[in-house]
Parts: sequence; structure tokens; C-alpha cells
Amino acid sequence: MIAPFFDSGAFSETASIGVALVIGIAFGWFLERSGMGSARKLAGQFYLRDLTVFKVMFTAIITAMLGVFWLGRFGVLDVDRIFVPETWLVPQLVGGLVFGAGFAISGLCPGTSCVAAATGRIDGVSVVAGMFAGVLGTGLLYSKLQGFYLSTPRGTYTLTQLLNVSQGILVFVIVLVALAGFKVADMIESRAAGPVSQ
Amino acid sequence: MKRSSVLRGLALAAIVLGALAAVVGSPRANGSGVDVAALARDVETEQDHVTAIELARWIRDRKPGLRIIDVRDSAEFEDYHIPGAERMPVKSVVKAAFKPSETIVMYSGGGAHAAQAWVILRARGERHVFFLRGGVAEWLDEVMNPQIPANLSREARVDADSVGALSRYFGGVPRRVDSAVPVPAFKATVARVRGRGC
Amino acid sequence: MSAKPYSNPYLAGVGLGLVLLSAFVIMGRGLGASGAFASAAAATVATAAPESASANDYFSRYLSASGSPRIDWLVVELIGVMVGGFVSAWLAGRLRREIERGPRISNSARLRLAFGGGAVMGVGAVLARGCTSGQALTGGALLSVGSWIFIGAAFGAAYVVAPLVRRAWI
Repeated sequence: MIAPFFDSGAFSETASIGVALVIGIAFGWFLERSGMGSARKLAGQFYLRDLTVFKVMFTAIITAMLGVFWLGRFGVLDVDRIFVPETWLVPQLVGGLVFGAGFAISGLCPGTSCVAAATGRIDGVSVVAGMFAGVLGTGLLYSKLQGFYLSTPRGTYTLTQLLNVSQGILVFVIVLVALAGFKVADMIESRAAGPVSQ
Repeated sequence: MKRSSVLRGLALAAIVLGALAAVVGSPRANGSGVDVAALARDVETEQDHVTAIELARWIRDRKPGLRIIDVRDSAEFEDYHIPGAERMPVKSVVKAAFKPSETIVMYSGGGAHAAQAWVILRARGERHVFFLRGGVAEWLDEVMNPQIPANLSREARVDADSVGALSRYFGGVPRRVDSAVPVPAFKATVARVRGRGC
Repeated sequence: MSAKPYSNPYLAGVGLGLVLLSAFVIMGRGLGASGAFASAAAATVATAAPESASANDYFSRYLSASGSPRIDWLVVELIGVMVGGFVSAWLAGRLRREIERGPRISNSARLRLAFGGGAVMGVGAVLARGCTSGQALTGGALLSVGSWIFIGAAFGAAYVVAPLVRRAWI
């Protein structure tokens, strides 16, 4: 069991900052390559004209999900040492709804707004500024929100625990659903005017 | 290579990897992990422990592969232990290699340490593991010194007789509950049992 | 210079998935973005009003024990995102100073909506403990229940709100 490398002490905290930069560069590269730095293209998802967001996001999810499963199975990656985001049922539901609304209005998300800003889009800069203001304002009001923010905690809570099926079965089902979704997405796009190209 | 055949290849790879994952079930190298849902189920359906009577029957019937493990310290073990038990502190239990054909029954003084060792062994992947829920105390109470009520129906009498016979097999003393003599305390029982030898 | 067309979304998605996987393998953690914004906000408050920053239970998490800003992994990662995005756009001839908007909306209205939408996302990201990178991608791949709830809620709300802002895009 050698990975995660940082956990097994392969390199220092300082070096991990260098890792952050490299991973970030690769992250930004693929976002821009697929057109995720374009607000018009992203917004197209919600008018069923350009379903690139769905395709990129879920391909990424199933790729990483399969990768984690099989690297774990072959004993290369200690899956129990990966930090899994914890669950707070209601705040994440409400946060998701609010976030989705903001996404439809602005056309960008936190990561893609940085790509947009870096490639010259002024609207990207505006979204970045808005996000900063939103996070700052919410943080300043935190004491009033704390009760809600901390409500319905479930700790580390995965779909395997919720649905009481093995992780392997869950992985298979998600892959099948995603692939079916891609087929449907391709069909929807060919009926519409076609994906936003530039 | 044509784009469409690359995509088709990736989709096929995802399906195959997903299907194999469903077969394999766990993303952990030793094939099992702490499947907390399964552990919880076994606790609720009472498949995690055995009663002293059940254990006594297994010993008397010479159940193949039965290993009885006493996780207490050596002084307590010398004082009294269940016939056929081997002494193994919890530290050693978790490192021990058991054969798949073996049935492990662990016990401690009151049952708590054995129950904890049960969780650890199950998390390690061992399947045929049980603990004696009431520990040595339950063995002494139910097997060595069982209480037999005086007035019983015909079926209850048959059961009571078999418990009585089981108790005498181990050199125990069944006690009639309507007797004037009070039920002896733990230590007194041990002394009496020791006096009987074997 | 004519811009090159975008990559195939599935291939780019595999690339993105491998980047996420490498974060798991190298660092034992996933990607993120909104956390960097929280760090930046915390640093700002710490600089302007140090006592309120340490007293604030949300911002203090992003500060060092003494209450001063610290270098956050996510902030550096997001800087990398900007570098990677820039290089990719540059090589593909897609660097363009412009305001992306639908044909029926003015530049200034678009910029106001962008800011407003961003602010709303900021609120949502704080409550949800993340955004599309930290929750949808990372938590999604790790099968976290809260993350999948976030995915469903975010997509759902976006589809409901989209018709209301149709004028901005179509």
C-alpha cells in the first residue's frame, strides 16, 4: 500500500504546495479544453442546447470512481485514507439549491469562473468578485447561520452505507446510468441547434 | 484512430471495469473492509454471539474446527476457564491466522472484551467468529450452575432435563429454584467447580 | 487567428477524471475551488480586523493558530487552474477580452447578473461545504451522500431558474 503518497510521508507539506500548483494547472487545462471557461457554453446546459457540462462532469466522476476502486483493489491505493467530504443533509441540500440558482444566473461556477477570468472574459472576473462577496458576507453572518449550517450531520456517509449494497455494485450502476445519460445527451444535442462551438 | 472508436472503446472499458467491480464488491485489497452495515446486521440478528448453552453443546458434540479463545489475563485463566479454551490476549487474537474451516468462539469475564475482539476479527475478514455474550459469568450461571424451576410443563421439563444433563457433563451442579439454599455467588461456584477436578 | 474547436467533452472528461484521481493518489484529497474563496475571504478579514477574524468560527478555520492567513492548498491549486486555463486558451487561440452574454442583454446587465449569480453561489457553496469541484466531482467520485444530494439539488435548481433568466442567454 503506497498511495496516497502524501499520507505515507513521501514528501513534505511545502512540496505539497508545488503539487497543488501542478494539479491545478492540469485541472484548468482540461476545463478550458472542453470549453468550460465559456459562460455561454455552460449556460447552454440549462436550455438543453449544449450538454457539455453533464458529459465532462460525469465522465470525470466515473473515471475517478473506477480509478479509486481498482487502484484500491490491487492494493496500490489505501482508499480508507482518502479524505471523503462529510455529509450534512439539509445544509447541503439547501446549499445545492442556492448554488444551482446562482450557477444558472451567472453561467459559471467557482472553478470555471477562474478559467474564464484568466482567458480574458470580463464576466468571469465579475463572477469571481461576486463569489468572493457572497462567501465573505456569509462568513460574516456565520454566527446567525451556525445552527442551520451544523444541522443534520451524518459524518462520513457514503451511498454504500445508505443503500446497503457493495461499493462494486454501486460503481457498476453509476457507470451504466452515466453511459445511458450520455446517449440521451447526444440525442438531445443533435435535435437542438447543436453544441455551442465558440 | 478514429474518434468514435476511441469513445466506444472507453465506454466498453467503463462497462467491463464496472461489471468486474460489481463482481468483486470491495475496493480493498484483502477483499473485505469494515463493512459496517453487515456487522450491524449481525449484531441485530444476534448472529454475532452464542449462548453458553449453545457453546456447551458444541463442546460436548465435538464440533469440528471449534476453537474457544479466552481473552482474559493468565491469572484469571488459571483460576477458571471453559474446558478446551486456549488463552490468547486480544493483541494476539487480531494477528492470529485462523483457518476458514475453524469456528472461533471468544469469551472474556463479562463479554465486553470478547465482543470488541469480535468486531476486530470481523473487520479483518474472518467469517466464523462468535463471542460468548455474558462471558465466563454466563457459562457459570447457565451451564455450571443452571437454575431449574420446580413446576414445569411437559415440554419445558424436557428442555430442563437436557440442560441438566449438559451441566452434569461438565461437572456442573444444576439447582432447583424452589430450593431453600440461595443461588451461590460467582466465586463460590468457581471454588466448588474446581474442587470437582477435571 | 482562428480559434481551434473545443476538445471532445468525453475525452476532456477522462482527462479531468485522471487529474482528480491523481489528487487522490498523491495527496489523499480531491479538488476544490470554493474553499479557496473562503480562504481569501478569511485572509481579508484577518488583515482588516484580526480580532473578528479569529473570533469568527467560520473564518478561523482558514487561518493559522495565531490568527494570521496561511497558504492554503486550494488557493495555490486555483492559481494553477488560472495558469492552465490561460495556457490552453493561448495555444488554441481562444484568448479573448470580451463579455460573454446572450444576444438580448446588455454588457452592463450581464456583468450585474454575473456578480449577483456569483454572490448567490458563494452563499450556496458555504452551506454545502463546496461547489462543483469539491462536492460534485470529488464527493461524487467518492460516493458521499451529501455530495450526490448537492449534485441533484444544484442541477435541479439551475433547470428551474434557467427559464427565469432566459433573456440573459438566448
